[in-house]
Amino acid sequence: MSRIVNRDTAISAGFFLLLGLAWEYGVRASGIASYLLPPPSAILGELWQSRGPILSQSLVTLTEVFWGFLIAVALGVPIAALIHFSRTAKSTVYPLFVALQSIPKIGLAPLIVVWFGYGLASKLIMAFLFAFFPIIIATLGGLASTPAHLEEHFRALRATPMQAFWRLRLPAALPSFLDGCKVAMPLAVIGAVVGEFVGSNDGLGNLILTASGSGHTTLTFAALIAVTILSLLLFYGVAYWERFIWWRAA
Amino acid sequence: MSAVISLSNAGKLFGGRQVLQGVSAEIGDAEFVSILGPSGCGKSTLLRLIAGLVPFEEGSIRFGGAEVTAPTADMGFVFQTSNLLPWRNVRDNLLLGVDLDPAARRPDEAAIAALVETLGLTGFEASYPGELSGGMRHRVAIGQALARGPRVLLMDEPFGALDALTRDRLNMELLRIWQRDRKTVLLVTHSISEAVLLSDRVLVMSERPGTIIEDVRIDLPRPRDPSATREDPAFGDYVVRLSKLMGVS
Repeated sequence: MSRIVNRDTAISAGFFLLLGLAWEYGVRASGIASYLLPPPSAILGELWQSRGPILSQSLVTLTEVFWGFLIAVALGVPIAALIHFSRTAKSTVYPLFVALQSIPKIGLAPLIVVWFGYGLASKLIMAFLFAFFPIIIATLGGLASTPAHLEEHFRALRATPMQAFWRLRLPAALPSFLDGCKVAMPLAVIGAVVGEFVGSNDGLGNLILTASGSGHTTLTFAALIAVTILSLLLFYGVAYWERFIWWRAA
Repeated sequence: MSAVISLSNAGKLFGGRQVLQGVSAEIGDAEFVSILGPSGCGKSTLLRLIAGLVPFEEGSIRFGGAEVTAPTADMGFVFQTSNLLPWRNVRDNLLLGVDLDPAARRPDEAAIAALVETLGLTGFEASYPGELSGGMRHRVAIGQALARGPRVLLMDEPFGALDALTRDRLNMELLRIWQRDRKTVLLVTHSISEAVLLSDRVLVMSERPGTIIEDVRIDLPRPRDPSATREDPAFGDYVVRLSKLMGVS
């Protein structure tokens, strides 16, 4: 078992190392100008040299994503529960959110900046907007996935509606909810970066914009890598919770 | 023998269609009674009517003298699927019914250990349903119904999905528990030999709209045994008689 894992890890590492080497020597051999496509060595050097600003800007973006995502969960779950349990909400609130979801959120960004300014609030709202809908949909799917035979079983055991919710529907909905969070988290990062593109004085999106604007391509790449790493870390931070809902396969 | 459950002219309609019609029967205390019928005859629905899970329009069903309107703690229902919560281990699944009912008396540790022992689940208390075999899951389901100490066990083809060997074994465990605790058991099945093997009486149902067409007393010696009882010539006679009633052969 661990042998197979080690072999897979080695193959994976080798593949990416080869890809990096091909990039490095491809750029050097072809003589492409480094302001168009810098070699990985230059990008890694830039990452190290500019680690101060990259870290501090990452922290700004992280804060926006964190709050945006948290609010998306805090509002998305009760709204999904409302849609699930109320027929009125299903025919009013639900179509409203589907319609709002259809608006391209990138197009909303300038408006959000006009309304909420250049600070944390507008970026937080952008992250929220991107993360909100997948969480509603996943929670709805989870709530609807409670098997009918278990609901009948709870009735036979004379469970109250509250007991059925907390002890049956909620745990049954968790696997699907977590899948929704795994989709929503990287989207929240995109939302925050888009917000920073449109109107901000800091954050990784702003760093990408200013670096590329001043022809500083290595810094652009370094900031892009920082966004990717941030997004991956947040994704695995969500995926970590899967071990607490091991029953998803059962 | 006093009747624990009595049905008089009970009937049920689903969307204007008569599913059950004029069902009358008396189930005595500590009796083991099977309801046998072709699939689709409404026997599972009848059991749900008795459990108070499904409302009905005609006649009356009484449990312990009172009209049945909702599920009561005195009747334990064992479903066709084992219905365990995958996020609760064996012990917590056994106690689910007790946990949900604030009025229920929680069995003490010795009683829980005895129940686990009876069900052959010793050593699996901390296992999750996903780690158990189908037979073990059904044992947990029966244990869950027993844990609340009900007077009556209502069982809806509880072992229908299991292989013949596991099924025989669980049936014998069920008989042992029934004989020891003197509970009333009402078992829905479509297996003629299972009904004969286990029951004091077999209620035979007709095709839809379902009603009870025959009440057959099974006078086979107890304790029963899957192989010895099946070799008894009287066993074969009962099987033939019930098959004819059900329109088989």
